[in-house]
Amino acid sequence: MDGGTLLHALNLVYELSTLALTTLGLAVVFGLLGVMNMAHGEFVMIGAYSVVAVQQWGLPTLAAFPLAIAVCAALGWVVERWLIRPLYRRPFDTLLATWALAMLMRKVVEAIWGKGFRNVDDALTVAVPIGNTSYPAYRLGLIALTIVLLAALVFWYRRSSAGLRVRAMTGNPMLAQALGIDTQRLASRTFIVGVVLAGAAGVMLAPLIRIEPGIGVDYLLDAFFVLVVGGLGTLGGLAGGVGVIGGSQALVSSLFGQTSGYAVVLVISILFLWLKPDGIFARR
Amino acid sequence: MDRRLFLQSTAAASVLGVAHPVFAADAVKVAVMIPQSGPAGLFGPSAKACAELAAETINARGGLLGQKIELLFGDAGLAPAEASQAALKLWKGSGAAAVIGMHDSAVRGALVGLFKGQVPYFYTPVYEGGECAKGTYVNGETPQQQLQPVIPWIAAERKPKKWYLIGNDYIWGRNTNAAAKGYIEKTGAQVVGDEYLPFTVDNFDASLARIRDSGADAVLVSLVGGASVGFNKAFASFGLADKALRLGTLIEENTLAGIGLANAKNLYSSAGYFANIATPAAQAFAAAYGKRFGPQAPALNGLAESTYEGFLMLEAVARKAGALSVAKMDAACEGASYSGPRGAVTMKARHVEQDVYVADVADKGFRVVKTFSHVSSGQTCKA
Repeated sequence: MDGGTLLHALNLVYELSTLALTTLGLAVVFGLLGVMNMAHGEFVMIGAYSVVAVQQWGLPTLAAFPLAIAVCAALGWVVERWLIRPLYRRPFDTLLATWALAMLMRKVVEAIWGKGFRNVDDALTVAVPIGNTSYPAYRLGLIALTIVLLAALVFWYRRSSAGLRVRAMTGNPMLAQALGIDTQRLASRTFIVGVVLAGAAGVMLAPLIRIEPGIGVDYLLDAFFVLVVGGLGTLGGLAGGVGVIGGSQALVSSLFGQTSGYAVVLVISILFLWLKPDGIFARR
Repeated sequence: MDRRLFLQSTAAASVLGVAHPVFAADAVKVAVMIPQSGPAGLFGPSAKACAELAAETINARGGLLGQKIELLFGDAGLAPAEASQAALKLWKGSGAAAVIGMHDSAVRGALVGLFKGQVPYFYTPVYEGGECAKGTYVNGETPQQQLQPVIPWIAAERKPKKWYLIGNDYIWGRNTNAAAKGYIEKTGAQVVGDEYLPFTVDNFDASLARIRDSGADAVLVSLVGGASVGFNKAFASFGLADKALRLGTLIEENTLAGIGLANAKNLYSSAGYFANIATPAAQAFAAAYGKRFGPQAPALNGLAESTYEGFLMLEAVARKAGALSVAKMDAACEGASYSGPRGAVTMKARHVEQDVYVADVADKGFRVVKTFSHVSSGQTCKA
């Protein structure tokens, strides 16, 4: 493989990895609970600002992980308990409520750090030689980490009894409850897992992306397109959505420029929405 | 206004008011259109502070044509139609006698259409050139101003042979790169590629691969805000910062903060203002700003500071014309001049001749490495 081809291949894998990483949390929440969490991107943003915070305090960058997990988990618990729970089975109301939550989160971060751009330093963002080309070391690590994370999640979902209970709850909530599964608590935990995944994605992406309070919407849109294409509730669907959206965008962008790449994503999403109109809110 | 702010501003006013200038009975209202929301909203607080400082400074030396300036703020961060509604309220509703605008060109187009030369309008930020409407006075740097002396200077210093031009897909990005092409070819270098990205793009890998393949040793970055941040970070992470120099005409202090100093190796920025210009006038301005707004003040940058320049130009043109009417000001504006934080600024063809600074990035941020005096805007605006 010559250097150019390898570079394009790595770019493609990187794009798919970041897309999978940022979509995962929304896929869990949307797929398993049927909640369209419009504040999903804001949890990614919180993750990125966790890195800004620990660097401001002079702590090692890795400290951002526990910070982001703690903040997102606490926030997730509160939000599920008092915002989402009263609105289950009312998808449109949930959508509005979480959109408001997104605005609130943006404003709070703006109040603390201001609207300006932030940067986090990471020594690993330098390029290292690989094959006949060179690639940023941090990106290679991110790709590996994403693969491990996805594999672990699939394994957990398929093998653990918690995974089994989640599948029971989403398959037939009434029956699961009759069998003694505490679906309320399970739903709360599932939501927390979803937003913590989003926060962790934000921590991992922080050295590579622009950081400002408004970045959330980028990640929400991309994740939404993936779920439109991939459908809900299955990891296979997630993989398919990531492949179609990320792959076509990367390929068309390389060949015909960025405008065409973005247009293709929109066209694909519209086609899916049009041909599978019940695919989105038909859960539960 | 909360109590603390009130106390602070009263204290500041009493300090500034030592000279107790005698004002004519009425105050003159000046509308200030700055982005208070939207993507450019991050410049709102610093632009507002600069406008307040300008008004206080002018009032302290006797006001505008002897009248005390009273500021009215409108949000220019909205869609053009809504922003012009806001401007209409300030102009017809509240009776603003002049307008200072620091906002994008789409809003400028709407405001020029609204005012139709009936109220003097001072447009202050970096822009693409070409605005020749009556009663519109432009202080901002044009592409010609920022590039015409700078590209030959970079050619002499760094000797790049192949330039790659990248920009956001709208009038400023395209006009800037179009102007650059001519200057680059005059230096004997070659333009090996140019491309324009929509504002939605946040992954620049495809463009970076093309830049790498083109063998470019210089890149003109005409991307804006977040796009510039994302592009420059990725550019450095691919190790391209050592292979090619970068030049930008809208990389100000906020954008650099987002890029990160470590990612700004071999990056040059060309502008009419940087927060750390070492001239006495610029340092006095920065000191006054720091004293007036305290350590928590929104950071100074070229876009916000242009608002201050707009007021100085309003004062200069009004003094020359003797009235705040467009007919008199249009007739008198040619040659109106003042000396401000940017240096000596002179109005020519309702644009300005001003100094242009080139900065590179050192361990504390921008470092001005070259100053060009009295650079023409390259605009001719007949009539």
